[in-house]
Amino acid sequence: MPDKVLVAMSGGVDSSVALLKIVEMGYDAIGVTMKLWEYHDVGGNLLDDSNCCSVGAINNAKLVCDRLNVPHYTLDFTDVFQKSVVDNFADEYLAGRTPNPCVRCNSLVKWDAFVQQADKLGAAYIATGHYAKVQHLKGSSVLKKGRDTLKDQAYVLWGIPAHTLSRTLFPLGDLTKEEVREIARKNKFETAEIPESMEICFVADNNYKRFLKEYIPEKMSKIGVGEIVDESGEVVGEHSGYTDYTIGQRKGLGLSTPEPRYVSNIDPSNNQIRIGKKESLTKDNCEVSGVNWLVDNMSFPCDIQAQIRYNSPVIDATITQKDHQFSVEFAQPQIAVTPGQSIVFYKNDIVLGGGIIEKNY
Amino acid sequence: MSIKRIYCDISATTPLDPRIGELLTDLNEHIYGNPSSIHREGQAAKAVVEKSRRQIANAINAQPDEIIFTSSGSESNNMVLKGVLRSGDHFITSSYEHPAILKVLPFLESKNIETTLVKPDKNGMVQPADIEANIQENTRLISIMWVNNELGTINPIFEIGSIAKEKNVLFHSDAVQAFGKIEINTEEIPVDYLSMSAHKLYGPKGIGALYKRGGTKLDPLIHGGGQESNLRASTENVGGIGGFGMAAELSTTNLEENTEHILRLETYFLNLLNEQNIPYSINGKKRIPGVFNITFHGVIGQDLVLQLDFLGIGISFGSACASGTVKASEMLVEMGLTKEDALSTVRISFGKIHQLDDVKKVAESIGEILKINVEEFANHAG
Repeated sequence: MPDKVLVAMSGGVDSSVALLKIVEMGYDAIGVTMKLWEYHDVGGNLLDDSNCCSVGAINNAKLVCDRLNVPHYTLDFTDVFQKSVVDNFADEYLAGRTPNPCVRCNSLVKWDAFVQQADKLGAAYIATGHYAKVQHLKGSSVLKKGRDTLKDQAYVLWGIPAHTLSRTLFPLGDLTKEEVREIARKNKFETAEIPESMEICFVADNNYKRFLKEYIPEKMSKIGVGEIVDESGEVVGEHSGYTDYTIGQRKGLGLSTPEPRYVSNIDPSNNQIRIGKKESLTKDNCEVSGVNWLVDNMSFPCDIQAQIRYNSPVIDATITQKDHQFSVEFAQPQIAVTPGQSIVFYKNDIVLGGGIIEKNY
Repeated sequence: MSIKRIYCDISATTPLDPRIGELLTDLNEHIYGNPSSIHREGQAAKAVVEKSRRQIANAINAQPDEIIFTSSGSESNNMVLKGVLRSGDHFITSSYEHPAILKVLPFLESKNIETTLVKPDKNGMVQPADIEANIQENTRLISIMWVNNELGTINPIFEIGSIAKEKNVLFHSDAVQAFGKIEINTEEIPVDYLSMSAHKLYGPKGIGALYKRGGTKLDPLIHGGGQESNLRASTENVGGIGGFGMAAELSTTNLEENTEHILRLETYFLNLLNEQNIPYSINGKKRIPGVFNITFHGVIGQDLVLQLDFLGIGISFGSACASGTVKASEMLVEMGLTKEDALSTVRISFGKIHQLDDVKKVAESIGEILKINVEEFANHAG
């Protein structure tokens, strides 16, 4: 009897091809769509039926599974997703930070829930359509970047529980996005031409300000306009509310300055935005919380490569540990080291682990 | 390797009775006329429609002109609510009705119609006294389902209908889960409107009917041609209507025999669960035969459904929605179950298609799964 594999099906092209690959490898596949949220809870885009978690997307997943003669189930994870991801997303903005909900979802919802489900259904592995690789070695499994450097999603996977790596398969790790689409077209998958979604799934219209206003209307209505101050603390303008801004943002400040100015600090308690020249954004260090290691035997200090936002270049850095607190020193000063964002640690293409940026200095 | 499937979700829908299948093939091949046309092709189609109308009327002891064909039970429900109630009216229904009633309520409220929800009791039944207590001056319509879809419980329709009649309020019952499974006699039961659907009684999908007592008023939902006495425009679904008629006739003429068979399955099933010392409880009293809303303590219902599906057995958890996801039933919590027990509850429904062997396989499979999933039970079963 071949091993059973639970394949996470979002209803997009990637997970469809991931399923095909699992079937081709000879596994006994089971397709599962995780229903994470309802449009009527999060608003926006009520009419577009092709996005993740919509009925349309679930139907697409069902069609592809049916074509491959694979059973498909839709399982409800809306409660845990709302608590762990959506509420946190709103809280982070309220705290003047810039959250990364996809990381949180993978870390706290998807992998745990999926591995538990796999256990119940007697499945040896779980598989997803992420562009990343897992190398299963004797006694240990290693997470690596995917072959498609443009699509690589290792960055959003640093937080998955280390013990689940040995149970994880990434069938798209050696493919490029274009190759995946080509495979989907050849197999006449209904999902072959579904456009790339770059947004946060529950903010499908990509308008997080609209989302916050609808999701936490009372808290948002209390914020109101606030001051913009420059490096010297002098008030230079007015802003629409601190949650509308993110560190490094230049547009939408409504200022006319001879040189471009960027948001360099967000102070939620005073509803104040500080701006500065590009130089004021560069930082040499950051403190990191919630660190998760995907490899054993790390010792500190340790020279690593770090990535401080999705799709940003990898940079040389040193990580040190003091009283369970991790700090990172960059080899060169970095722009927009943003509290709330993930920092991921690599050794070449191996993902060592990651954490959340707390403070920069 | 393909395993023989045992489909135990009769309350969701039924497979086509092979005799109806044959009839449909025959109708699709030979009867293509428009029943409104004057030529022979039209006449032949009209005959199919009118024969079916009589079969359905006979099945519930009604007159043929009291039967209106619709596309589904949901359409029939919508038609009554939207076709009877007007601004300023008051409407009473129960909190555990089908979504085709409950999801109409916000629409009604937007039209300045007042609504009151009555809760079922701990046995899963609506109490006539609760209905009576909520009737007010402007109450125009009461709608209470004959049999609840999640529980299979039978409501005291005669009593509720009698109260409505006495108070001069119109009474509708969603009889989709009752029709073909228990006796429905419109001469004895004071009901003004009944919703019915063919696919719950081994007939085709996409065809429903509404019983409207002679003389009661109703506005159409779909305006257009004069079909169905000007109450439901659309060229008739002739094949579906023909199949529905046969389904109604087969289920009512064989009602006693089917009931006896299903009760035998039911007893056998429960005996097998007891023999295996499986801890379970059945929710709801006074049920139609073969439908179990059943709590298997300690196992998550959704997991049980999936694992049985792997073993070739189809049952359900909660009530299905468009996306196919399910949540714990709020109704069960309202009836007094803990949230945990509500999550451990599934619906298994047997029908005339099942044999003792099928039931045995289901009971044994449940036992196997529980042994793996519920430690306590595994230790007991040792």
